[in-house]
Amino acid sequence: MFKDLDPILHSQLRLAVMSLLISVKEAEFTFLKENTNATAGNLSVQIQKLKEVGYIEVIKQFKDNYPQTICKITSTGIKAFEEYVKNLQAYLTQK
Amino acid sequence: MEQEKKLTEQESLHLITMMINKAKESYHDTGIGAIMWGAVITICSLVRLSEVQFDYKLPFDIYLLTLVAIIPQILLSIREKKERKVKSYDDPYLDYIWLGFGICIFLLINIINNVFGEWGSWANEFKSITGKSASFRFSEYVAPLFLMLYGLPTFITGAACKFKPMLWGGIFCWICCIVAVYTSIKIDLLLTAASAILAWLIPGLIMEKEYRLYKKEQAQLNV
Repeated sequence: MFKDLDPILHSQLRLAVMSLLISVKEAEFTFLKENTNATAGNLSVQIQKLKEVGYIEVIKQFKDNYPQTICKITSTGIKAFEEYVKNLQAYLTQK
Repeated sequence: MEQEKKLTEQESLHLITMMINKAKESYHDTGIGAIMWGAVITICSLVRLSEVQFDYKLPFDIYLLTLVAIIPQILLSIREKKERKVKSYDDPYLDYIWLGFGICIFLLINIINNVFGEWGSWANEFKSITGKSASFRFSEYVAPLFLMLYGLPTFITGAACKFKPMLWGGIFCWICCIVAVYTSIKIDLLLTAASAILAWLIPGLIMEKEYRLYKKEQAQLNV
């Protein structure tokens, strides 16, 4: 019996953001934008969704008088990501 | 990238792999610090070698250049940290390793200066009693101590960052450490210069080239 894939993660941009954040300690919004090739608006919405479910932490601060947004994966996010990959592998093995 | 596009399992796995690789590739050291320290230690060793070889003395200790190099190193580190858009899990550990290395070098210099002081007075006493110079020369054993220390952070950084030129550079320092125990001070200084070139200068130049390529690629992607 397969578990359903987490609908929050089973979306292209959110999964891309989580995959980037799982590999690093923290990343700036611009780093995520450059690597996902998403628009700032799209990315902001998806980051907000990930933040609402507690998968990532968003820190807003100022750097050299410019606003800076830093994203960090949380322990809940790491667990959800690991579970997602596990389920994904189970699906693929079955096929 | 579309925000809500549903993916197949294969696409998901492919996307995860691609993004993890992108994140790994995004970490690029500018290499300037490694180039600077490689050049500084090479210059210091070769100038000291020329002092020994041609029997002259500069009005100042050439190794004071390492103290001067600390200032641009601090400024470089601050600038690089500010410019970095992503922090890796290894960053703080590597910073502490290099900081600890710097502290160890200055502690070693302090120990060596004290031993030289003691040894000098003992050698003079020995000469006044026996009329012969002491055959043991402590200065012949200084370079291996430094080479041993040079190898440690270089090897760890090379292994942690999966950067082979630095990993091999660290191993080369340790090989030179073994050899320098049995060689004269002139060869020791040449081995120190060779270690600085192989452990820091060349890896630094490779890092700098990779960093420039990465920046160029990023600029092309953002056009």
